[in-house]
Amino acid sequence: MKKIIVGLATAALLCTAGNAETLKVGLASGALSMDPYAHNETATNSILSNLFDALISFDKDIKTHPGLAVSWTNPEPTVWVMKLREGVTFHNGNKFNADDVVFSFDRIKNWDKSGFKGKVSAIVSVEKVDEYTVKFVTTKPFPVFLRKLTYVGILDKETLEGKTDQWIGLNPIGTGPYKLTSWSKGDHIKMDAHPNYWRGKGKFDKVIFRPLTNNATRVAAILSNEVDIINRVPVVDVNRVKKNDKLNFFVQPGLRLIYLQMDQDRDGTKWIKSHDGKNPFKDIRVRRALYYGINEDAIIKYVMKSFAKPAAQLSPSAVFGHDESIKRVAFDPEKAKALLAEAGYPDGFEVQLDAPNNRYINDSQIAQAVASSLAKIGIKVKVNATPKSTFFKAVRQRDLGFFLIGWASSDGDASSVLDGVGHSTDNDKGYGRYNKGGFGNAKADALIEKSAGMMDPAERLKALQEAQRIIMVEEQGFIPLHYQVDIYASSKNITFVPRTDSRIWVYDIK
Amino acid sequence: MIKYILNRLFHSTLVMFTISFIVFFIMFKAGDPVELMLPADATQQDVIDMRVALGLDKSFIVQYKNFLINVSHGDLGNSFIYGQPALDIVFERMPATMELAVLAMILSILIGIPLGIISSIKPNSFLSRIIMFFSLAGISVPVFWTGMILVLIFSVIYGVLPSSGRGEVYLFTSAFTWDGIRHLIMPVATLTVFQLALILRLTRTGMMEVLMQDYIKLAAAKGVPRRVIVYYHALKNTLIPLITIIGIQFGQLVAFTIVTETIFAWPGSGKLIIDSIQNLDRPIVVAYLLIISFIFVAINFVVDVLYTFVDPRVRV
Repeated sequence: MKKIIVGLATAALLCTAGNAETLKVGLASGALSMDPYAHNETATNSILSNLFDALISFDKDIKTHPGLAVSWTNPEPTVWVMKLREGVTFHNGNKFNADDVVFSFDRIKNWDKSGFKGKVSAIVSVEKVDEYTVKFVTTKPFPVFLRKLTYVGILDKETLEGKTDQWIGLNPIGTGPYKLTSWSKGDHIKMDAHPNYWRGKGKFDKVIFRPLTNNATRVAAILSNEVDIINRVPVVDVNRVKKNDKLNFFVQPGLRLIYLQMDQDRDGTKWIKSHDGKNPFKDIRVRRALYYGINEDAIIKYVMKSFAKPAAQLSPSAVFGHDESIKRVAFDPEKAKALLAEAGYPDGFEVQLDAPNNRYINDSQIAQAVASSLAKIGIKVKVNATPKSTFFKAVRQRDLGFFLIGWASSDGDASSVLDGVGHSTDNDKGYGRYNKGGFGNAKADALIEKSAGMMDPAERLKALQEAQRIIMVEEQGFIPLHYQVDIYASSKNITFVPRTDSRIWVYDIK
Repeated sequence: MIKYILNRLFHSTLVMFTISFIVFFIMFKAGDPVELMLPADATQQDVIDMRVALGLDKSFIVQYKNFLINVSHGDLGNSFIYGQPALDIVFERMPATMELAVLAMILSILIGIPLGIISSIKPNSFLSRIIMFFSLAGISVPVFWTGMILVLIFSVIYGVLPSSGRGEVYLFTSAFTWDGIRHLIMPVATLTVFQLALILRLTRTGMMEVLMQDYIKLAAAKGVPRRVIVYYHALKNTLIPLITIIGIQFGQLVAFTIVTETIFAWPGSGKLIIDSIQNLDRPIVVAYLLIISFIFVAINFVVDVLYTFVDPRVRV
């Protein structure tokens, strides 16, 4: 009898051990390609981060750490010399060295379908100094250099040279903790642990990523124990997940801001109708009135079901350049009305609010809530919610006057949003590509341009914060709404820690 | 017969040519995929480069001309998003959709027609009433509801069936492995419910109509056994409208399993096409719709040929 019990106990132990070796992850969207340079898109980046290493890696709080580079010096402001990690092997056994780094940067920069050109545009050249040393030259002093490098997964030159784009898109050979074993598109991605991983072999022998795009399906999969982690738990199911005593529940503030842009430099457009025929948004008092008049607390409570953080500036607190002292003003419809009257619009005006309806969490409902808030201070808002393909076409052509849009500061540095949104539009210098309201302030522009070359972090932080203050407080160039949060559920059998960059990095899951 | 087939072939080519033009035009007008593909920090130059790389910088006429030239070489172009040949991607997903559609159709026919006959012979019996009650429910309940309820009962509460995914695949289908069959049960059941109910009701109505006709009474008066009357004389005449409907429904199943595929995270082509439309991935949308229209054309052809067997008066 005793023997049987011992036998059973051992069997049970073996069983749990067997289960623990495979990690199953249910994701709200799958990978678009296995080519790490094809799409700079969160879901694809998240999956591929398990297959590829970059020279520099982000930890869960998006702080930079040595990755495939062990150390680096910055002898001149535009020169970086990096010492590479020795003894690292790719999934196929090939050695990692400086040639792979030169090859990878050449491809990410010059491949005509690369989605990451923006990350490496400031890098002029990459040279091999010796087997394990590379030298980078940048166009200008480049303080965000290390952060940008986290996006460049290193490829194996020996394997990839001469291969077609199609082949590379199906055969990811990296140095990462896991290697691809099969990819059935739309059903699963299976990976095995890379036995010779330089940080040591991962805890799970096998990982299965499954795209479960339907919200209810994803929840059913974790409730029925078929997957160990899901991301993007839908807010309507939060209580079901929380009540389940086999599951842990996580809320992680993310990097994406949802905000409004207003046309501030054109008159007589068809989207804005005021009694004097002028564009009211040109008046800062009107822009402020909108900020005071939108009941963001109600949007967060009723539309986002409390899963969002109110925003007062362009980047959340995890991002370098965030200014703690900029606080959101309290909702004050009376003050909003007074500001409107002062500006000469006591009876408000009419405007069309464009928004996507399949891009951000609850995007079109947020736009509706903004419209009903503004109706109470006399501004008649007509919401025009369209699919993202139509919406972004209109954004590109400035075919709108007032719109809801998002921005993720995925570098962990405020420069991306300040360059792309806060700076006035300047196509030659590559600034303000997403500043489609025509906002511009010479002082902010100068600060943004100067900060791009400041190598002293303290000085640079001050410049970024100053620019934020001018754009968001002094000029009210945009109306911030909220930062999205990521919601996860995981089985209690595993230890999962969510990351600020929304990636699921299996190596850290225990 | 050969002349008929050639004629049909010519018409089909014309249909598919027209479809390709319309889809190409709509996708051209719908927007710019490059804007959706590139991240926010891409420069204007990156956008232009990508457009050139994908051939989107050219005029509509030139793009469509290039497409036709490539099609004549059997190349439907590479997906903008996935970077792989569009035809490969669609064909990779097609078997998953086809197995759901074929299994659901076979089950619906095998169960629906006999039950329809039973309920038509004695329309007022207790059994008939029960059958009719469930068929009414089957035809009225939305597919996503059936799917969700099945998942709730069999996966979440009892944990006996997997809630999603396709399971182990052998020879393009999951119907040959135990794991695959377990994954197939709920999606196939979900799709079958509606089709089954529809076929059952059509069979019943058709049978009841035919059973009242004079030649049936004559056969009965001449002493032909009841069984022969029902399963031979009456059923044969009921089958003609039924075949038409089954043909149309099968096409529908292949083209519109999207809801079922989404609920069960089934990697079929329905989900692929919705994603591709949202991403403006024109090569995939065009390839998919050409294949689907080819399937519809083929089904119609088979239905026409089947008519001639069931009803000798019909000549192709």
